[in-house]
Amino acid sequence: MSFSPCFSRRHFLAQQGIAGATLAIASLMQQKSDGVPPKPSLSPPSNDLKPKPSHFPAQAKAMISMFMQGGPSHMDLFDRKPELEKRNGENYSGELKYDNAAESSAKIWSGPWKWERYGQCGMELSELVPHLGAIADDVTLIRSMHTGVNNHGQSIYALHHGRITAGRPVLGSWLTYGLGSESQQLPSFVVLTDPGGLPVLGTDCWSNGWLPSLYQGTVIRPQEPRILNLNPPAHLAGAPQKAYLQLLQKLNSEHLAAHPYESDLQARMSTYELAEAMQSAAREALDFHQETEATHKMYGLDQDATREYGTRCLIARRLVERGVRFVQLYTSTQQWDHHANIKDALPAACKKTDQPSAALVKDLKQRGLLDSTLVHWGGEMGRLPVVQNEKNVGRDHNTFGFSSWLAGGGVKQGLVFGETDEFGYQAVKDVVHHYDYHATIMYLFGLEPMQLNFARPGGVGTLLDGQPGRIVNEILKNPKQS
Amino acid sequence: MQFIRFCFARACNVAAVGGLRTPSALRFVWTVCIVVAIFTSANPQRFWFLGAPWVGLVSVVAAEEPVANPPASLGAEPTPVYFETHIRPLLKTHCFHCHGEADHKESGLDLRLARLMQAGGEGGPAVVPHQPEASMVWNRVEAGEMPPGGKTLSASEKELLHRWIATGAKTKREEPFQPMVEQWTEEERNYWLFQPVQVTNLETLHGIGSEPLQSNNPIDLFLLQKMQPAGLSFSPSADRPVLIRRLALDLIGVPPAPEDVAAFVNDGAPDAYERLVDRMLADPRYGEHWGRHWLDVAGYADSDGYTEQDIERPWAYQYRDYVIRAFNDDLPIDQFVVEQMAGDELVPQPWENLSQENIQRLAATGFLRTAPDGTGQEGVDPNVARNDIIAETIKIVSGSLLGLTVGCAQCHDHRYDPISQLDYYRLRAILEPGLDWKQWRDKPAKQVSLWTAEERQKATDVDKELSELEEKRVAELDTIVADIFEKEVMKLPEDQREAARTAKAMAADKRTPEQQKLMRDYPSLNVDRGSAILYDGARINEFNKKYEAQQAEIKAKRPADRYLASFSEVPNQVPATFVFFRGDIQQPRDSVLPGGLSILGEHDKIAADDPAIPTTGRRLAFARRLVTGVHPLFARATVNRIWMHHFGRGIASMPGDLGMLGDKPTHAELLDYLASKLVEYQWSRKRFQRMLLTSHAYRQASHQSPQAHQIDPENRLLSHRSVHRLQAESVRDAMLSASGMVSYSMFGKPVAVNPDEVGQIILGNATRDGNGILVAKQEETESVYRRSVYAQVRRSMPLGVLEPFDPAATAPNCDRRGNSTVATQSLLMMNNGSVIRLSEHFAKRVQREAGDDPREQVRRAWSLAFGTLPGDEQLQLSTEWLISQRSALTKPAVETVGEATVGAPSGTTVAAAGTLEPAAANLQSLALYCQALYSSNAFLYVD
Repeated sequence: MSFSPCFSRRHFLAQQGIAGATLAIASLMQQKSDGVPPKPSLSPPSNDLKPKPSHFPAQAKAMISMFMQGGPSHMDLFDRKPELEKRNGENYSGELKYDNAAESSAKIWSGPWKWERYGQCGMELSELVPHLGAIADDVTLIRSMHTGVNNHGQSIYALHHGRITAGRPVLGSWLTYGLGSESQQLPSFVVLTDPGGLPVLGTDCWSNGWLPSLYQGTVIRPQEPRILNLNPPAHLAGAPQKAYLQLLQKLNSEHLAAHPYESDLQARMSTYELAEAMQSAAREALDFHQETEATHKMYGLDQDATREYGTRCLIARRLVERGVRFVQLYTSTQQWDHHANIKDALPAACKKTDQPSAALVKDLKQRGLLDSTLVHWGGEMGRLPVVQNEKNVGRDHNTFGFSSWLAGGGVKQGLVFGETDEFGYQAVKDVVHHYDYHATIMYLFGLEPMQLNFARPGGVGTLLDGQPGRIVNEILKNPKQS
Repeated sequence: MQFIRFCFARACNVAAVGGLRTPSALRFVWTVCIVVAIFTSANPQRFWFLGAPWVGLVSVVAAEEPVANPPASLGAEPTPVYFETHIRPLLKTHCFHCHGEADHKESGLDLRLARLMQAGGEGGPAVVPHQPEASMVWNRVEAGEMPPGGKTLSASEKELLHRWIATGAKTKREEPFQPMVEQWTEEERNYWLFQPVQVTNLETLHGIGSEPLQSNNPIDLFLLQKMQPAGLSFSPSADRPVLIRRLALDLIGVPPAPEDVAAFVNDGAPDAYERLVDRMLADPRYGEHWGRHWLDVAGYADSDGYTEQDIERPWAYQYRDYVIRAFNDDLPIDQFVVEQMAGDELVPQPWENLSQENIQRLAATGFLRTAPDGTGQEGVDPNVARNDIIAETIKIVSGSLLGLTVGCAQCHDHRYDPISQLDYYRLRAILEPGLDWKQWRDKPAKQVSLWTAEERQKATDVDKELSELEEKRVAELDTIVADIFEKEVMKLPEDQREAARTAKAMAADKRTPEQQKLMRDYPSLNVDRGSAILYDGARINEFNKKYEAQQAEIKAKRPADRYLASFSEVPNQVPATFVFFRGDIQQPRDSVLPGGLSILGEHDKIAADDPAIPTTGRRLAFARRLVTGVHPLFARATVNRIWMHHFGRGIASMPGDLGMLGDKPTHAELLDYLASKLVEYQWSRKRFQRMLLTSHAYRQASHQSPQAHQIDPENRLLSHRSVHRLQAESVRDAMLSASGMVSYSMFGKPVAVNPDEVGQIILGNATRDGNGILVAKQEETESVYRRSVYAQVRRSMPLGVLEPFDPAATAPNCDRRGNSTVATQSLLMMNNGSVIRLSEHFAKRVQREAGDDPREQVRRAWSLAFGTLPGDEQLQLSTEWLISQRSALTKPAVETVGEATVGAPSGTTVAAAGTLEPAAANLQSLALYCQALYSSNAFLYVD
């Protein structure tokens, strides 16, 4: 019998449970013939990655989140504040929450970058993100993001886990738990890490929490082996592993001959074949060299500054194209955390990400994938309107108001939504809390936040966890009908 | 129809021979007949099925509606339908909750007696005999209105109900006046599990073993008794190399050393096998492997689980070690159970200067401390968490010791088994004095210190010294903060400096608006102890270093903590236990006293207080009742579990649920015989196991004959040995063992588990990487090569190399492991870093022991992996493979232009073919060979 009474946590792609050939008989034998009613099923609910229907029609089928860890300065990139320009150098009169009081000041600072309006929608953006400008008409820019917890870890938790605490499942886990995967040969939730280091919370950022570990994010590493346990280490890749599998096949065939009726032995042999097929599927998906030169150029693979990040953006597109549900790309540890030296470091960070990020949207669009793929770009915070570190100017943390942009997957095109106050400190109009952001994503994926749950001690666990998440209808092409 | 009659005759005939209970294979025959009957009567054109093999036949029809009451479907005289036998179980499952058990009966209707159904409720009679269409019950069920909430009765259940009413709504016997709570029906009382253990007269088994057997072990006779009527018999004995590998993996959890295999094969003594069994049972690794089986059932973990915090349990391992010792010492099972349930009640208080024996008794009660624990965790309602611990502990206790799931009775009477809600709360009353949720003791209060008086004094002295140092440290830090503030003040315009000093001296909420503005304008004035490091890192770092060194020096003098996480009661503090209405802790109703199950007449057999000891003695009394030798549940549940581990499935296949939802035992008489033997052996586990292991049934070869495959594909009759996949720990331990890297150091703190750079859980401590992120790195220490039973069991972090192979669930415990066959297991064997590293160690060992000759290497590797030498063909195949790999990996002597890269996809490194020096190529090809052996079915399964 193959049903497993103890629920066991498994890694990705564990959906190919091989049922014993005699299962039908077994279930028949369980039927009682003395008139006692049939028993309820004792097997646990199946946890697999087979595609599952959404609760209502979905607008987005896949999501790519470009997570800008560290907190890009919204008032220097996305949210122009004339008040800062006007009062540059004056003392800010209100209360501010600092992360680093030692280096802090109350001195208002206006960055040196110029602003321009882009696209037919006239979206006002900094000169640091011209490529975003070129796709402005495809983007909804939210200027009123809010998590309200002023350090990296907690705010990352809020945007990933739904709450500011550790240990809960992340958004990607929820989506794959709810919807499964369109690909049976690729992991359903993929994380592309930066060679410059993991995000601040490390592997917590793709943790399945208390969901089965099947729904954990699978990391595509920036070096070989690209996917642990899925790709062999470099020295075994290719011919050596092939030879190993051939030998294994012979050993197992011989063993099977002595046990012709043990279906499990045969099943295990076929799992090696399946594993091999997964490997080549992953290898194929990662092989961006198949792409045209024009595509390479569009993502900036021909330039040093953009090559690495561009490659990952291109891989993200290839993954989504092949049925992966959720892809998250990270920038290197604290890349956007510009407490100091913002004048050099912010342009460098933009240089690395702007062109590839925009290329991803353009590319998805030209392939007809943008409508069904929700693209997110943003970090866990923005910055303060005042100077930190006068000798080498930077900006301190701000999670009370910052910007992110979304494209595709059912969000409006060429829209600016929400506002911060005149200094860019607090989100004041159409505030989008992390739970609103999550409620909106769930809606786009056709999921009821309460219905997508998991049994927990004393109730069920959900992504929103009882917070009053609002679907931000104003940014949606097909708002929820009330 | 000739065929059907034949089947029937055969089934009935055999059932008569086999005793009252229909053996499972005959149920199979029975079912086939019935299904065929249904099928042929409904679809006469499908008679051709009769010629097909049964297997195909059954699997084809399996999707059809289950047949609840087969005899009637045959078109013969229908069997009478009675309320007690057929209808009550159905109504109990679907209806009693609202129409009977609750104080308030919906529509005033009570369905618990046929008479009450006829009397009806507010809507009139629910049943009119002989007139289903005039019976409300039928109409509401038929219309799908009842039961409510989308649940429906199956077609066969409806058919039964209809027929029962149509045939006069008969009862089997006169009904009681009132449907009294806990008045169990005859059917319920007669359920096999609640009968006393019945010992078959072995003389009735004489003549069964007509063929020559190696043993006259009654186990074999019991099995043959079921096998022969089905036309089956035992397979011959397995070869010695197979037997020793089977025994080793079964008893000590690792494969045998080649030397041991050879010694056994060459042992000419007639009792060679028996002595081997004894050696294995005496091996200390036995306790590690078999202890782990019990830890599954007990729900052992080194962390609390419950919430995402998953707090570590630093002292839980003392229980794990107790279990391992108990198995190795063959602690009699009765004592083992009494100590786990109530070891604390055997140790006189106060618990100071404890003897080794008493320490072990207290450690044993770790059994009652395994449940997930949410108390003290953020965002958790403490009352809910405390009651959850009680509920989970009841689940663990009942599943492991009674072989029953009683959890359903927390909210209402059990839907299937005769376990009342009162029963449940009586069990709760046994545990509640130690888990008093109204006067909860947090974890430190429940720990027992193992310090001596001297150590305690030393610790007090050290703590005093530390707190004095801390005072000094804070005072010094404050002067530094003051210095820093003064420097910041000096950055201000001179006229504001004094105001700043005044403002700073003022508590933040007492400052005037001017002072507040000043502090806002110059935020760097807000320096404090915590932020001082941001201002003057060098000075603070030096300061910290100085004090940390002093603290470390003092702390080094403190004796190491030694605690037990035991279970205990506070003497004379006895909470009342209440029945919670619908299981809701906010709705306590009647209070109950401790007791056993009412179906066994044990509901009043546990005293609320034992005057001989300061605690209540309830757990002690409960445990002692289990091990009197006449308890019908405990011994059966225990032997069934042991059997399961030796034979792959229990005699009753659900070891934690022997009740009506579980499968009936395939060999009920055998189960009872075994239960009686365990008592007769004075609860000696090893002696009992020896009896199982020396049976022919255990020693059979694993070859299934075509006949056996057709008649009994699942091998429920045990006419041969089924192959079994190794359990998760054994997969890893067997690799460790073959590689020669295994450490057999026993006991003590678990080896830590932590996430590596991608989140995979590995063995090793986590350290901060260059970016300050905690990451575990693969270590090469002895501890990472310890056996898997010593790997930390973090409920939230299953060890990556075990996880795909169905390790024990820990929420809260695991009655039976899963047995999946999935691609993740294959990917692990192909690509996992730990597996590859062990393959390399394996290869190095083979090189050391067999030299460079590929043939010798294959022979050595093969025997280390499988215990035997390869056959000629296997040797040739492997040697050829190894030689070809060596040359494929070796750098060509003459430099040629590589062409391997052409067309190879990027994103992967191209095969390293032909790039290695000969020595490296030899090692790498051998490692790959070893990895193939690890990955092979011959390694992962045991014959």
